[in-house]
Amino acid sequence: MSAPIRRRKTSSLIVLGIVALALLTMPFWAGSYNLRLATNVLLWVGLALSWNVVCGYAGYISFGHIAFFGIGAYVTAILMQPGVGWNFFATLPVGAVVAAVIALAVGFPTLRLRGAYFAIATWAMAEGVRELATVASITGGSGGLVLPVKSDDTFFYWCMLAATAGAYLVCFLLLERSRFGYKVKAVRDNEPAARAQGINANLVKNQAFILSAVIPAVLGGINAYWITFINPDSSLNTILTDQLVVMVLVGGLGHIWGPVIGGTVLYLAQQQFVVLFGDSTAYIVLVGALVVLVVLFLPDGLVSLLPGSRRLNLIRRFIRPRATTTTGSS
Amino acid sequence: MELFASIVGGLLIGGLYVAISLGFSVAFGVLDVVDLAVGMWVVMGAYAAVVVQDWLDVDPLLLLPLYFLFFALVGAVLAPLIYRVRNNRYAMPALMGLALTFGFATIFRGSLLTGFGYTPRTVRTGLANTSWNIFGLVLPAERVAGFLTAAVLTLAFAWFLYFTRSGLAVRAVAQSKENAGLMGVDVKRTSTLIYALYTGLTAMCGAVMGAIYAMTPELGPRYTLFAFFVVVLAGLGSIWGVLVTGLLLGVLQSLVSTFWSADYTLLVVFLSLFVVLLLLPNGIGNRRSVA
Amino acid sequence: MDALAIEDVRKSFGGVQALQGITFSVAPQEIVGVIGPNGSGKSTLFNVLTGALKPDSGRVLLNGKDITRWPAYRIARSGLGRTFQIPALFENMTVLENLLTASVEHNWDGVHERASAVIELLELQRVAAEPARSLSGGQQRLLELGRVLMREPDLVLLDEVAAGVHPNLRKLMLDVIRAKREAGTTFLVIEHDMELTGEICDRIIVMDAGEVVAKGTFEEISSDAHVMEAYLGVSVE
Repeated sequence: MSAPIRRRKTSSLIVLGIVALALLTMPFWAGSYNLRLATNVLLWVGLALSWNVVCGYAGYISFGHIAFFGIGAYVTAILMQPGVGWNFFATLPVGAVVAAVIALAVGFPTLRLRGAYFAIATWAMAEGVRELATVASITGGSGGLVLPVKSDDTFFYWCMLAATAGAYLVCFLLLERSRFGYKVKAVRDNEPAARAQGINANLVKNQAFILSAVIPAVLGGINAYWITFINPDSSLNTILTDQLVVMVLVGGLGHIWGPVIGGTVLYLAQQQFVVLFGDSTAYIVLVGALVVLVVLFLPDGLVSLLPGSRRLNLIRRFIRPRATTTTGSS
Repeated sequence: MELFASIVGGLLIGGLYVAISLGFSVAFGVLDVVDLAVGMWVVMGAYAAVVVQDWLDVDPLLLLPLYFLFFALVGAVLAPLIYRVRNNRYAMPALMGLALTFGFATIFRGSLLTGFGYTPRTVRTGLANTSWNIFGLVLPAERVAGFLTAAVLTLAFAWFLYFTRSGLAVRAVAQSKENAGLMGVDVKRTSTLIYALYTGLTAMCGAVMGAIYAMTPELGPRYTLFAFFVVVLAGLGSIWGVLVTGLLLGVLQSLVSTFWSADYTLLVVFLSLFVVLLLLPNGIGNRRSVA
Repeated sequence: MDALAIEDVRKSFGGVQALQGITFSVAPQEIVGVIGPNGSGKSTLFNVLTGALKPDSGRVLLNGKDITRWPAYRIARSGLGRTFQIPALFENMTVLENLLTASVEHNWDGVHERASAVIELLELQRVAAEPARSLSGGQQRLLELGRVLMREPDLVLLDEVAAGVHPNLRKLMLDVIRAKREAGTTFLVIEHDMELTGEICDRIIVMDAGEVVAKGTFEEISSDAHVMEAYLGVSVE
């Protein structure tokens, strides 16, 4: 029983080591196109991770996550405007705090209720933030805002790597290696029982939501400085949320490595799609179809196909006997 | 007078919200999944009417039953999928159900955007320039027609629920799937039936709505929020509640656009919903939490 | 001081009086059974005690502390544990994780050792690494009991804990309950199984239509005509 587990641990440590080495040396050997690609992959992996915290771990589906990304972007942009002139790094925590406050305002009344309330509330929040950004003057309206230009791709690669890796570390420690993770999962699996264990379910859910709101805000700030121009369409577009949903579902909901797999695979697939078909709205159809297919046929995501995964065994044990009457796939 | 006219105009629109929300609420009760595609059914109904007016030389409102049949058929195809996801043994079926209907909504939105682009479209009917003056109150014919359509549909739907055997089965399943199943109700078939009825009904309302307001594929989430607003305020399974709050939403929307700006409708609706949830945490709707 | 004191607790749902002034108390280290027909208010009473429902009036004292209207998690933290009529497990987590969860708001020191001890006590070694949803009905009940024990509560509420459990497991369960009582834990049990009630309960409270209709030892109760009528539906002339 313990031997295969240890072997698995060793092999995953080796994989982790290789990935870490590749990421840390990337700027020294990758071309500028690949470096930009990697920065974007990191961005999406980080965003997918944040969505996985609230959806996969806390069990509440958020359709407005991109609002936090946009909030982070706008806070950084506004604070770096010529008249204000803050240091870039000082703007990131501000964005995080604003996102946390808004998350609390949305989460507090709705996380007590069943998931649909929260789903719609977050959706409406994203629409509201977008409308606000489009009409308000401080955000530059639909024209958007321009940031000071810093054309140093390596700098942004390091920033994005630090933010995403940092977020990963924090989430891994909190959700997989601490009591907080047990609380979150217990509340997700059975709320009345969790309360009967002394767990303050509402508090735990709000903490998880705030954690998952802070990450996109920081990433949004970095991204805004990188692309130097933001507007509601680029930073608050609903398609961004759609993309997050599908990335996490494809990767593996509630699994710590799901977002890495889903984020990487889907971002690269999207780039390929753009190369082949141009920037078409047909991509939205594709995203929707992927969500439907994953929900129907691979609800545990690509992670469940990794050899030796507990989920794969779970699927085998509990779904197979019913497979003749249900899916017949996976 | 302006206030009075605005309220009446709002009530007329509200009729459509009542019809949409009623089907949405019942389908929610039976399938136990909030259909996040509800707004897209509205939008797709409107675009069906747009297609009809582009291709055929008839008034798009004359073909309402056709939209019903077509979208009921689509709904009947999708319903078993929702049922299967909601009732299988994977982790978090409630959440997966939401994700599934979200996937549907995304497919619909992407298809409409690809087919019709971002340009707003309006359903043009023979009633477009007609209006009636009743005691100094100007009633646009399209709104009146919309209200009448909604009233007929709502009554028909209520009759189905309360005076037919299938309606009884629907109400039984909404109360308790297990017990209804034990009583010999085919839960899966009932779910399919109600979902098909609801999608057909919603699309018909959408076609009428398209004559009153311009539509874009991006408006789906807005109508989803509206339907949800009505159902949350009304309480689950309450027909009278839906009637009152649906009309209320119409009036609210009308007042906001008359005295402020139509741009703020969504924000006002959202904030009202927020306040309601804050003040009545156990919602209205006392069913236990699922997702 | 009583481990649990219930003073004139009332609760109604709409027009239905589910609890019409319940008053009784449980002494430390006692095992008290609550019996009564379906709909007599037993589960409502449990839900009021654990904070899942708020009573309309009356007081609930746990170890002399007024816990009326506290949220469920605070009541749990002050030393009350419960099982549910339908086992409420964290089904996507393993048996071991389920036990660990019980201690996140309790004593976390040596939690793995205590979990191993509980697993051994309840003979769940073979399934320790399995997800909770793969357990048999009887094992699920054992696991739920184990999760409660992990929290070392002063007072445990058991809701039909032995229903549908194989006789061997049931014996194991009863042994564990007795042992815990010796170690200082108080139990309040809802039970439909009169045999089991007679086996472990020191005292019995009979409820009907939201009221306490009788109190006493198993022998007193089973010879009481009024109770037999209410509970077993037989009229004893």
